[in-house]
Amino acid sequence: MKTLLMILMFAGVLSAQTFKVEKVSGDVKYQNGSSETWSALENGTILKDDAVISTGTNSSVLLKGDNVNFNLNESSAVSLSNIKKMNIDELLLALAMEDMMNAPKEIKKSSDNTAVYGTKEGESNLKIITDDFGIKRLNGAVQLAENSLEESAVVAAKETYRKYPDTKNLPSYRIYFANILNDKGLYVEALDEYVDIQKLELSDMERKEVNEKTESIKMKLLSE
Amino acid sequence: MFANVNILSQSSFGLNGYWGLSPNFNTPLYSFENNPSNYSHVRDWGFSFIYGVEFAKSTNSNIYSVSLSKSLGNHNLSARFTPGYQKEFIFNTGESIIVEDSTTQSLTASINYKELFGLGYSYKFTEDFSVGTTFRFFTQDFFQEFVTPVFEDTSIIFIRETESEKVKFWKCDLGVNYIMNENLNFAFSSINLLNFGEKADQSDFKELEIKREIGGMIGVNYIPIDAAVINFLYETTGSYQVALNGNAGDLGFGLTLFHDKYQEPEIAGMIPTISYKGKIFELFVSGVKYFSDRKKDFGVSEFVENGISNVLNNRYSFDKILLTVSFNISTAKEKSVEFIDVEIVKDIYPTFSENYMDYPFAYGTVVNLTDEYLTVKPMARIKGVNEENIQSPVLSIAPHDTAHVPFYVIIPESYSSEKVEISYADFYLVTIADQPDDQFQKAVLVNSVNSWDGRVSNLRYFIKKDLDFSMNHAKEVLSDSKALLDTLPIALENFYKAKILFNEFVRHLVYTSDPRATGEYVQFPNQTFELKGGDCDDLSVGYSSLLESVGIQTALVDYKGNGEVRHVNLLFNTKLSPNQAKLLTNNDTKYFIRENPDGKDEIWLPVEVTSLTGFETAWKLGAEKFNKEAIGELGIAKGKVNIIDIY
Repeated sequence: MKTLLMILMFAGVLSAQTFKVEKVSGDVKYQNGSSETWSALENGTILKDDAVISTGTNSSVLLKGDNVNFNLNESSAVSLSNIKKMNIDELLLALAMEDMMNAPKEIKKSSDNTAVYGTKEGESNLKIITDDFGIKRLNGAVQLAENSLEESAVVAAKETYRKYPDTKNLPSYRIYFANILNDKGLYVEALDEYVDIQKLELSDMERKEVNEKTESIKMKLLSE
Repeated sequence: MFANVNILSQSSFGLNGYWGLSPNFNTPLYSFENNPSNYSHVRDWGFSFIYGVEFAKSTNSNIYSVSLSKSLGNHNLSARFTPGYQKEFIFNTGESIIVEDSTTQSLTASINYKELFGLGYSYKFTEDFSVGTTFRFFTQDFFQEFVTPVFEDTSIIFIRETESEKVKFWKCDLGVNYIMNENLNFAFSSINLLNFGEKADQSDFKELEIKREIGGMIGVNYIPIDAAVINFLYETTGSYQVALNGNAGDLGFGLTLFHDKYQEPEIAGMIPTISYKGKIFELFVSGVKYFSDRKKDFGVSEFVENGISNVLNNRYSFDKILLTVSFNISTAKEKSVEFIDVEIVKDIYPTFSENYMDYPFAYGTVVNLTDEYLTVKPMARIKGVNEENIQSPVLSIAPHDTAHVPFYVIIPESYSSEKVEISYADFYLVTIADQPDDQFQKAVLVNSVNSWDGRVSNLRYFIKKDLDFSMNHAKEVLSDSKALLDTLPIALENFYKAKILFNEFVRHLVYTSDPRATGEYVQFPNQTFELKGGDCDDLSVGYSSLLESVGIQTALVDYKGNGEVRHVNLLFNTKLSPNQAKLLTNNDTKYFIRENPDGKDEIWLPVEVTSLTGFETAWKLGAEKFNKEAIGELGIAKGKVNIIDIY
């Protein structure tokens, strides 16, 4: 796991904050708003939160926001709008939006989620793959999670799965973000993920972990 | 010969007594004397016949009256033939002549007052208030014998001669009836309001004519309990009647006491009545009993001095006993269900025609009046919108149960009124055949075809309404770009069609923030082209309509704002899969993934239609707004941003 430094000094959602580029190392590019072009990032640049930053191999960038310092490591991409603290309720709303965004169906899946808060368990090993922008997005999401922005990380990961469908076939990332849901006590959402992950090609260790988590959640849900 | 005959009347005298508005019986209402405003309960046809016997030496006719009544909706017409309504007086003039055989013959005079027939009309404005009038036709026959002296050479010869005159006239009265509540009702009417017809020519007869002074009467009917009514009627002449009527089941009784200013004693007489009410008929046996002696003879001088009060009821009238039979003949169906109320729950927006197929515009509260389950067919029609009744689903109502009945409306395709107007909706309840049991009318606001209720979801009706125009326009535009479209990969067809159509759409348009200073007016696409502009609603409708007309799915995006101005733009479906996004853009924040009903993810692009500079800018602005407000601020989840699919 690459080093990631972030200092958070805020609570709740930050909105419309700006970021100053403190230190660029290697190949770091950014895209402003809806721009079609990527530009090289330079020290001292001021970025609005609608920008996306992408780092190349062996590259990194340190950003300073209004209330946060964030270091994005190599082969990662993150929307600056995702660098914000969300609470569980906001996460649930964001997850619900996935369905709400869809075209109307004849039968809508109802959401009867009850948020149950839990303790964070151990993190799985995550292998970073570098040659795809979707993977970069997932790497960026992992770094959000590793710096206590787990809710934003899940939202970023979920969006990446949809925009880059191939990334849904990467068990390590899927398990990583499913574990966040599980750790946050969002058992129903986590269970959906684990059940879906079981359909992928998994290593023995991964399958063992997913099966154990699945059974554990089922027991918890049955006992409620 | 006669002088000062005083023919003022107690106008309200009736042979069945006074029953007020007779909530339980129809028969007394045939009396124009008590009911000058022709108030009637008769639902369809009514017929009444009075046969009577007068305790007198001779009677002119035993058939007092034959009446007919017909109700047509709120109108009622009545006609009455009254052969028994007459009074004849025969006098010796005090003169006599000696005829050739030396016998003496007295000369006589006679007066015959008759009311021959009458007509009535009334109109019920509501169940509680009605106005009516009656016309009554009278004749007066005057006759007298007299002698004329003829002087011959040395003698005088008296020749017996006669003179007579027939005088006809009408009198007309007006009245109103008001039912304040279940316990109290009032009747107000005129006495001798209008009189027209002939007048006696001969001076001897002029003073014998019935005098017709104008007055009025007021009736008050108090119903303390269902089975009893207390009636009081007062005339401005000072005459009055007091009556108590009651019923026990189908049997009824009444006792009327009347005071006539021109008769003695104070209470001149009474009219006791018993009655029976059958399903279609009513039977009355009544009597008129005077409290003064009616059998004594009287002389001319007394008659001249006192006169009579009226044709039927005067100091020379005799006691009577009468049998009255009335029939309620109904060719109309009995009411099985009726409205209690109707509530309009939606104003009419003609362009939302499909909406009214699914959702009622009004609900009626309806009660089953029978002891049986009823199948009821509700119907409605809005004046100026529908030429025929629109039938709602048939429903069954339990005996004496109340039901909530929905009413629907179909807006004809041809409806194109640009005026907002208050119209009326007629509601009907039908149980058998096509004759409604009950109907109800209520005002309803019918907006213009361009009116909009502010709900973005209802903009879809404006999009779909003008699809033919949009299709023709879109085909024309796309045919100009056929060469380009033919060379493109088929997967990009939707994207490029949307781009071409947008650029052409905005080429001649100008965005106008709020051209009508109201958000309640939306232009159809052809109007937007014609006017070369519009606000965000109009432009979104116009562009969406163009895309939909060539098979490109669209969805309106409703930005509700935080108490600020709302905004609308749209998304369209490129039909590309997420893996094909690179064909469109290098920026993954410019597109959004929506799962279609088959479970397949597709790329949708947001377009800010008010950006009239070109497709790329409109897409960019649309994406930025959608990212910020719909996604970043969780607007969709929080209900501040709605996506409304056009389908």
